[in-house]
Amino acid sequence: MRIGIDIGGTFTDLVLIDDATGAVLVGKALTTPADPARGFLQVLHEALARAGRPLTQARTLVHGTTLVTNALIERSGARTALLATQGHRDMVEIGREQRFDLYDLTLQRPAPLAPRWLRFDVPERILADGSVRDPLDVAFVEALAIELAANDVSAVAICFLNSYLNPLHEQAAAAAIRRAAPGLRITLSAEVAPEIREYERATTGLANAYVQARLEDYLRSLMAELERAGFRGSFLLMQSAGGLAAPETAARFPVRLLESGPAGGVLAAARIAEQAGFSDVLAFDMGGTTAKLSVIEGGVPLVARDFEADRVHRFKRGSGLPIRVPTIDLIEIGAGGGSIARLDTLGLLKVGPESSGADPGPACYGRGGTAPTVTDADLVLGYLDPDFFLGGALALDVAAARAALATLGAQLGQTVEQVAWGIHQVVNQSMANAARRHVLERGQDPRRLPVLAFGGAGPGHATRVAQALGAPGVIVPPAAGALSALGFLVAPPSFEGVRSFPGELARLEWDAVERLLQELADVGDAQLKAAGVEPERITHTRFAELRYLGQGYEISVPVPAAGSTQPLAQLQTAFAAAYQRLYQRPGPPVPIEAVSWRVVSSGASPQLALPRLAGGDPESARKGERAAYFPESGGYQAVSVYDRQRLGVGTRVSGPALIEERESTIVVRPGQLARVDRLGCVILDEDPAMTGDPA
Amino acid sequence: MTSVFDAATLEVLWARLLAVVDEQQGALIRTAFSTVVRESQDLACGVFDTRGRMLAQSLTGTPGHINAMATGVRHFLAAYPPTTLSPGDVLVTNDPWQTAGQINDFTVLTPVFRGRELIAYFANTCHAPDIGGRLLSAEAREVYEEGLRVPITRLFAGGAPNAELLKLIRANVRTPDETVGDLYAQAACNAVGGERLLGLFDEFGLTTLDGLATEIMDRSERALRASITALPDGDYAAEAWSDGFEEPIVIRCRVSVRGSDLAIDFAGSSPQSPRGINVVLNYTHAYASFAVKAALSPDVPHNEGAFRPVRVSAPAGSILNCRPPAAVASRHVLGHFIPGVILQALAPALPRAGQLAGGADAVWISVWRGEAERGRPFTFTLFQCGGMGARADSDGLSTTGFPSGVAGVPAEVIEALTPLVVERRALATDSGGAGRWRGGLGQHVVIGRRGANPWGVSAMIDRTGHAAAGAAGGLSGASGRFSVTDNPAARPKELAAIGPTGRVLLTLPGGGGQGDPARREAARVLADVVNGYVSPEAGLAAYGRRIVYSGDPDDRVRPPERWIVE
Repeated sequence: MRIGIDIGGTFTDLVLIDDATGAVLVGKALTTPADPARGFLQVLHEALARAGRPLTQARTLVHGTTLVTNALIERSGARTALLATQGHRDMVEIGREQRFDLYDLTLQRPAPLAPRWLRFDVPERILADGSVRDPLDVAFVEALAIELAANDVSAVAICFLNSYLNPLHEQAAAAAIRRAAPGLRITLSAEVAPEIREYERATTGLANAYVQARLEDYLRSLMAELERAGFRGSFLLMQSAGGLAAPETAARFPVRLLESGPAGGVLAAARIAEQAGFSDVLAFDMGGTTAKLSVIEGGVPLVARDFEADRVHRFKRGSGLPIRVPTIDLIEIGAGGGSIARLDTLGLLKVGPESSGADPGPACYGRGGTAPTVTDADLVLGYLDPDFFLGGALALDVAAARAALATLGAQLGQTVEQVAWGIHQVVNQSMANAARRHVLERGQDPRRLPVLAFGGAGPGHATRVAQALGAPGVIVPPAAGALSALGFLVAPPSFEGVRSFPGELARLEWDAVERLLQELADVGDAQLKAAGVEPERITHTRFAELRYLGQGYEISVPVPAAGSTQPLAQLQTAFAAAYQRLYQRPGPPVPIEAVSWRVVSSGASPQLALPRLAGGDPESARKGERAAYFPESGGYQAVSVYDRQRLGVGTRVSGPALIEERESTIVVRPGQLARVDRLGCVILDEDPAMTGDPA
Repeated sequence: MTSVFDAATLEVLWARLLAVVDEQQGALIRTAFSTVVRESQDLACGVFDTRGRMLAQSLTGTPGHINAMATGVRHFLAAYPPTTLSPGDVLVTNDPWQTAGQINDFTVLTPVFRGRELIAYFANTCHAPDIGGRLLSAEAREVYEEGLRVPITRLFAGGAPNAELLKLIRANVRTPDETVGDLYAQAACNAVGGERLLGLFDEFGLTTLDGLATEIMDRSERALRASITALPDGDYAAEAWSDGFEEPIVIRCRVSVRGSDLAIDFAGSSPQSPRGINVVLNYTHAYASFAVKAALSPDVPHNEGAFRPVRVSAPAGSILNCRPPAAVASRHVLGHFIPGVILQALAPALPRAGQLAGGADAVWISVWRGEAERGRPFTFTLFQCGGMGARADSDGLSTTGFPSGVAGVPAEVIEALTPLVVERRALATDSGGAGRWRGGLGQHVVIGRRGANPWGVSAMIDRTGHAAAGAAGGLSGASGRFSVTDNPAARPKELAAIGPTGRVLLTLPGGGGQGDPARREAARVLADVVNGYVSPEAGLAAYGRRIVYSGDPDDRVRPPERWIVE
């Protein structure tokens, strides 16, 4: 028995897989922000009771949490100091000296996690060739550490200039602190993000130190509770890059947990898509306030390292704290069921990023919200059943939705229905825009990628998003409401190590590269052993970060296996091909430069054996019909409504149609055919009966 | 007001177009070679309709480039009418009077064809790391000394690079790989934009952008006019002083608001200078229209329509409308003063969100040159920012570019590419002007070098003599400083020689405060002193708060709880 538990902003989700029977059980409870462990244990015990199994039989428990994100947003981390190279303690406040919005004179920049009185210049200097010019003043560091500890400082981040090339002084300073003040938690920037650009590296190191104590305390008490409850299996944490880590590793690099929930969702999407026969897909997760989109290539989600936490303006790039750790490469935009529609200064219809949130929520929730939202529009369009929202747990007020939309309609001179369709279109197109850009910038073609939709609002909007992208179809997986937790159970234990080793590719001494890659692999092995992986099951994937000499941004290219012939030539060819794919033209006649090297060490991925479902006849799943809006059909028309749970494998339903389950509704537009595959995925394709030759 | 587009359709097309230009900018940054483009983002990207009217610009970039590019594209169209262009053609120029006011700035324009039909243009402007001539400075007396001037010419013809032109450029500049590499990137990003635009046409079945363009521009114009109408009619005037080159320069502006029209005139400003600090009218217009939009309606999209209600004039032969062949290399210095003086003039009429005390204004651009190891030459352009002025409801931002939108360069990137060593980069205590809201802080920067060769710097900087003014009773910020340890004769805006062990000290100016300092909350003064933004001495002198540290005078760690307001 394996269990995944994801603590999100609103809900704590659970997925339990019984390996003996293949049965999948889903649980959901409200998150308990004050004491997240309470919600965790509640949903766990509830699910075990339903499964009729004791916790002692759980082999693995995988956990993801927003705790780290929240600690950064709420600024509720430890009193943390920053040690910097002499003259550079202000790097985290000076930042990149740029406004993220050109025209807004009132904008604010995010405050550094260490206030200025907790930032210190340390006598030392390493130059850009890695040589030591000024030795580290060890006595200074020791004296400072004692003072820090005496002033209730519990964590220290160290970021010295050029430490990405030579971490010697950071390591020596850490040793000095450990001697002088053994209680202090220490983060080295060169260990957490060994990359050029001191502001980004220091901010990442500082964030790591800042949240470490919160995470450690939380994990310690949670693990004690689990042990008391009889848990004897292995407890692992989901990381942002889609791999699992042992609690010790997670506590050392808490910033690697920032996006654990979304990572789980994308990972599950990748695995389900692959089993359904699609190795390249666009994962599309639309919830109450945001939509997240991510490209999956060859069954593997892409990973990036330019995450931003705690954005002052939630969706504006550059308004947050840069966090340079491997993170599932996803784009998040302010479009969800609760997104509010309004007219802007030009009289254009805008949707989001402002959201009505859970409280008061959309007007149709009847909790006092009056602003028109995406959910209100969906209700008026007939896509949602007012009596079957969350399985009927929340009755929706159609009159309130219409009233909210009517205010916009009065401004636009449009009917409520026209406004509703306008909102539906605008929000779908804005998600499609974000998706298109994200996909194209990664050298993929959106017209090739089916859309795998999940989240409460995803299945209702996917068909139009896919249509706008020219995507070949839509896949709605089973358990779409708890996909993150499901993803935790298909993730392999993994660890990514990065090391800077720059140089012109043609002139690199390849043996030195191989030695470095081996070291990174060894570090990964040690971390994975701590997570209980047997050494012979570990695989290593190696990457070089390459660019044309003189450029500032790199492309990740796989490094051929050790012992390959002409590894350099292979790398050069692979880089040129990747560059051409990304920018549609060959690069300039300039040598190629390597910047850094990465090794991803992974254990085996657990199998995902979704239960095979029985076949069935669509008529038995038909719940009834209601009027829904489809412009292809000239407006409202009566369409059939099906119960997803009763649609068996192989059944086919022609659009227009609505397929409902407890957490979401799948909209099938006219001309589409929905079919249920053997995993229980609902797949929407063009209906061959409709697209046949008209002659 | 009737429209062929409904509000939803228009929003869908418009949002898509913005996504296209953002992609264009993304491609530029990722493929560029010089740090000026890829780290500092001294650039602009935009899409234009067939009449050369700017329809949309990318999200970031810098106003001087965006607006100068916007108004400059018509010169391309005049020189190369659509009938003379074919698919695969790319045009380029760095003519100061036609585009961004300095010959370091290349504007690259690419027509987009759908079949044989020209449907739009993509353009971008970037600051080249070097363009030959004198090293970027203000010392030239004529534009001819400032480097290679490229009239509107084909950079690519039918997809093939203009090899003769590139050969000529390579032979004339100190950084041939970077300068030419950036031109390739400028062409590549326009191609990405064009590709995406064609996708948009196919998907929505468009045959022309022009209807959409007219609609967006008209709506933008109406929105800006509505904001102008909200201002009381009247004439508003202000002046600002810059260090100048040989003597201080004054900028005088008069803003006339009449109904929905706004006219800005710079009569009474200094005459054009014999040195390279002159500003062409195109650039003056760029920063003047930026100021109006930022102060009045930051959320109106920036396009041709948003220029229409604003008229900008300056006497021919004056510092803000110089005549050829005036030297113009350091035009950004005075150009960056323009928004500040307009905001100052309009202050009595502006809403709170538009209130801004004087700031550092000019981004400090310095060009560093010398020999690295093994005699290899280096040329490196550095951007640095001082403090912004205080706002009506919050402190000014420290070390943040305004009005420029450029970014600084990480010390590690500087050190990786050159023998320079950044010895210090620290906020300058007490540099923010006192006020109910404090001005943003400037910074102290000290730069030395590795290796034993001589080197030099040309620092195009200002406000070393004339500090940023406070507003509404706020005090002015600290002025900047520039010196070279082993060269007492070193002056801003001239090339200064430095010995191998010499160091360059740059202190960037702070922003002005807003409101009476006596009205600043005690808790804010205390926090400023605890964090060393304000010294205890200045806390007393400027704010009247006696704040003392009660702990051991030798303490390195001085927590807030041990500071006392007496």
